[in-house]
Amino acid sequence: MWPIMKITYREMLSKRIFTITILMSLAFLLLFGVATGYASRELGDILGNDAESLLQRSFLSTQLLGMGLYIGSFITALLAILSSVGSIASEVESHQIDTWLARALPRSKYLLGKFCGLASMLALYALMMFLGLLGINQFVGGGALAVPFSAGQVLSGLGFFVLMPIILVCVSLLLSSITTTVTGGIVLIILYGISFIGGFVEQLGSIVGEASLVNIGIISSLLFPTDSLFRKATIALFDTADDPLSFASQGLFGSTSAPSDAMLVYTLFYGAAALWLAVRLFARRDV
Amino acid sequence: MADYVIETWNLSKQYDGKAGCKNISLQVPRGSVFGFLGQNGAGKSTFVRTMLGLLHPTNGQAVMLGQPIESVESRRKVGYLPELFRYPDWLTGIQLLEHHAELCGLSRSARKPVIRDVLARVGLSGREKERIRGYSKGMQQRIGLACALLSDPELIFLDEPTSALDPIGRKEVRELIAELRDQGKTVFLNSHLLSEMESVCNHVGIIHRGELVVHGEWQKLSAVLPQVELTLGAGSRGALEQLPAFVTQKNLVKSDAELEQWLVTLDQEGRVPQLLEVLLARGAAVHEVVRKRQSLEEVFLYWVQKKEGEAHVAHHENHV
Repeated sequence: MWPIMKITYREMLSKRIFTITILMSLAFLLLFGVATGYASRELGDILGNDAESLLQRSFLSTQLLGMGLYIGSFITALLAILSSVGSIASEVESHQIDTWLARALPRSKYLLGKFCGLASMLALYALMMFLGLLGINQFVGGGALAVPFSAGQVLSGLGFFVLMPIILVCVSLLLSSITTTVTGGIVLIILYGISFIGGFVEQLGSIVGEASLVNIGIISSLLFPTDSLFRKATIALFDTADDPLSFASQGLFGSTSAPSDAMLVYTLFYGAAALWLAVRLFARRDV
Repeated sequence: MADYVIETWNLSKQYDGKAGCKNISLQVPRGSVFGFLGQNGAGKSTFVRTMLGLLHPTNGQAVMLGQPIESVESRRKVGYLPELFRYPDWLTGIQLLEHHAELCGLSRSARKPVIRDVLARVGLSGREKERIRGYSKGMQQRIGLACALLSDPELIFLDEPTSALDPIGRKEVRELIAELRDQGKTVFLNSHLLSEMESVCNHVGIIHRGELVVHGEWQKLSAVLPQVELTLGAGSRGALEQLPAFVTQKNLVKSDAELEQWLVTLDQEGRVPQLLEVLLARGAAVHEVVRKRQSLEEVFLYWVQKKEGEAHVAHHENHV
């Protein structure tokens, strides 16, 4: 499995999409840093130290960081999809896979090697993105915009944030092992889009008290549960959704309707099932 | 007991009941160079890919190096150069070989000399640090050949190994195959370039429309038609009139003022003494008798046409 992991690392690093994403991510972090810096300076001047100002400051700081995390999660998801959806399918299409599989290498090891390589690379990327955003919030945001959180909260939020691309890789490998790159890519982007929109619809439904909208969100999360991981990450980081003063429940990127622990278990099961299916179906596939 | 590296029993790989290969039962002896002949689309590559586990058989069984082809173990000492050789072009030649060497289980210390050796054998020494995307097609085929040889395989599948090579490259590959044969390796050679195979193969199998028509030792198969080339004196033509029934055909190949050369087809092996007896009794001046060996192309066409003829008869009978 290790040789396949190694070649997966090499492949990812050699691909232009990875280099471009890294450069664009750095540009995004720079932009986020500049915006945070300016906002921090402006708000420091405008807001005083009274209770109302403190609440406003806390709200704005979580909103700004929430927005950064949302876009960071979106970029991470796109990288996960684009780098993994063709990892098997494109090799089958070009027959590059033939000489690897003609070796005494079980297909399960090949697929799991790909998974470990992609998942670890993307987990590292997500970790850097998450810590980068938090670092900017803490050190550039300074006293005015720094969101106060404990190490436990950071670890918990990081766990959910990193889990999202790993789940995406599981599903991506399933699609890549049974269909073509283009088909797999389209299906995965649609699924991610459903989850993305469903997340907003659910929050909106929760805010206006419309159960049908919340149900649509729940169904979309069941169909593809990545958005609930983002919600979990913000809740873990900012507060608990059950708290009436929670800043995690407010604004465009807040989580008024918090995903349950059962949803988390479901998400983990979802990823594991996708990977298991990928191994099973790839073993039967003619390449 | 014969030692076979490949044995198959009714091995089939079909797509919706069509194409591919059907009911292939063959044995490939250890140490042989087995030429698998067939037209484009006859099912040669399908058979090889099924043997290597890339395709799953729809029927039948097969054993490779003593292991069923479904097991990973069957591929442990096997090398493969695919017909559609495509390698990650973002790797350098040496990186590709290192990854393959690792997959073959070669230790870090063993890899270097082995890689150096295979690079020299395929004529790529000095080019290994270049990216594969910069390689010509011929060089890509050579690096593929190097990959196939890395694990010191007992059995090597070469699927159209010279398709991208120039005449010098083709000669080098033929020499390499002969060298492998001398080392006791078994080479399974897929090709439709009959003249190339003729010089290196000692066993052949002919596949036509997915079905194995015949297989066996090339020496035996090349005697499909017992033929002799007779060189007679110019006045001996009369001796060839009304020959016994064991002479099935005679054709004048060339003639000049002094000599005539005839190609005579007999009904079976061992008739040459009888033929000579008849000719000499009739007073023919026999200058030379040479037993004619069929070329691989002739053998191939003979069997394919025979198979086509049988199929035509069967088709006709089914409609009557």
